[in-house]
Amino acid sequence: MEVVRVEDLGKTYPGGTKALEGVSFSIQKGEIFCLLGRNGAGKTTLLRILATQLKPTVGRAFVLGHDVLQDPKAIRPHIAVVPQEARPQMLLSPYDHILYFCLIRGRSRAEARERTRKVMDDLGLWEHRDKLASDLSGGLRQRLIIAMALVADPEVLFLDEPTIGLDPLGRRSVWHMLRELTRKGATILLTTHYLDEAEMLADDLLIVDKGRTAFLGTVEAAKGDTGVGMRVIVEPPAGNGTAPPEVLEPRSAEEVLAIVERGLREKRKVTFKPASLEEAFIKIVGGSIEVEDT
Amino acid sequence: MKSRIREALYIGLFDALPLLRDPMLLVVISLFSFLPVIFIFVFADQKSAVQSLVGAIVLTFSFTGLFASQSVYFNKQWFRFQDMLVASKVSPASYAVGLSVSGLVVALPGVLVALVLLLLSGPTSVVGIFLLIATSLILWIGLVFVGFAIGATTKNARRANSIPQVLSIAMGFLPPVYYPLARLDAYPIAKAFAMLIPTTHAAQLAKFYFGLIVIPDWEVALGWAYLLGFAALMGFLASRRAHWVDP
Repeated sequence: MEVVRVEDLGKTYPGGTKALEGVSFSIQKGEIFCLLGRNGAGKTTLLRILATQLKPTVGRAFVLGHDVLQDPKAIRPHIAVVPQEARPQMLLSPYDHILYFCLIRGRSRAEARERTRKVMDDLGLWEHRDKLASDLSGGLRQRLIIAMALVADPEVLFLDEPTIGLDPLGRRSVWHMLRELTRKGATILLTTHYLDEAEMLADDLLIVDKGRTAFLGTVEAAKGDTGVGMRVIVEPPAGNGTAPPEVLEPRSAEEVLAIVERGLREKRKVTFKPASLEEAFIKIVGGSIEVEDT
Repeated sequence: MKSRIREALYIGLFDALPLLRDPMLLVVISLFSFLPVIFIFVFADQKSAVQSLVGAIVLTFSFTGLFASQSVYFNKQWFRFQDMLVASKVSPASYAVGLSVSGLVVALPGVLVALVLLLLSGPTSVVGIFLLIATSLILWIGLVFVGFAIGATTKNARRANSIPQVLSIAMGFLPPVYYPLARLDAYPIAKAFAMLIPTTHAAQLAKFYFGLIVIPDWEVALGWAYLLGFAALMGFLASRRAHWVDP
């Protein structure tokens, strides 16, 4: 089932800045869809249009079958957003933030208390429930903002760089929570600058560059399309410490075997480095970096 | 309708919660407008102190309206709670009403204390109190709109803090709100400027309805027309500047 559909979407801000142009894609139910791109590429603009916070200039976008421009009220009760650089109110506790957001979204007091407890437990916030937000670490504050969105139990969740500032364990707990949500049928669109995060989470991804689609497809397709393959690093023989390691990109299993045999024969350490999305990303947007640099 | 009122109530409570959770700060803020009354009571006569007390009630309402700009700015640009609430079933009207009344919730203790003191200071009527509150509320509505226009237009936190404070001095402490308008009779230019400021008209009406001054009928009519016109104009301005969904 298609949850999000975007058709030839474009956005030019009132000041004349063109942020998006001709973007089209769709997201299926239960999918995690990652938006990647450099700073200012148009990711946040696209996310805000889909979350009914910003009006598009041209094209159409549908969330849960409803047009974001014509029928936003039909969409809003079913979505939640973690905005970029959102901050908690420093003089309030995490419990107050989450409980009140639950109440504002229409839950009864009893339901709100129960839901608040559950979300705080899931995100490891319960033990910090009565601290002031000003006394929380940056990672806990970010988890609090995420909890304020998750408490709505949305069908579609939009997250704009949600794990920024989180430590590795915090990021993993958010990833786990997002996977749990999709298992229950939620659909997630997230922007991130962490390519390992996109690699770990994305069912599909869209790379935008200067407001246009630079790549649309799966992580594996991104790596395949850009010709980024596995790398094999062959260290110099023992006693020749000044020589640089050889970095090889084998194209077939036979080539891999040949490298391994040579390593064994010459008693050289051989390590395998799988292709990363980061390399694919740099290849995809690299052209525009070079153009800008010159 | 019931769910909209509930939304507005919780938005207002959430916005006011930092102060409600800290009673000491609440007392200081709710009594802020009443501090000049103490000096007037000490250095002038009781009649002047009562006039300034009425002025302080009017100003409490106007300050809470003006300082809605901070709630609007910080919820939109700093905390980004507005974006989170746009992506929910909350209506823009509930949000606007919630942020507006949060200031009133905070100011209420001070206003109640002042009303009790007014009642103790001499004979008054229920109508007098009602019209005092009505005048203050109309001024408050106009200044809430001003607050929304400022909060939605301001793009940096420094201005979001300084603009309402400068305006509160210009509209609260300089014009004849704590002191009688008659004090400006000797300064016609200053009096003319004072008559351009909405708080002057609200204070004149409030003092009149409380039986503290006598003003001609035309001045009463002018005062109401000015306050209603100001509220309508500022409402128009706020509707042009403040957006629920960004253009």
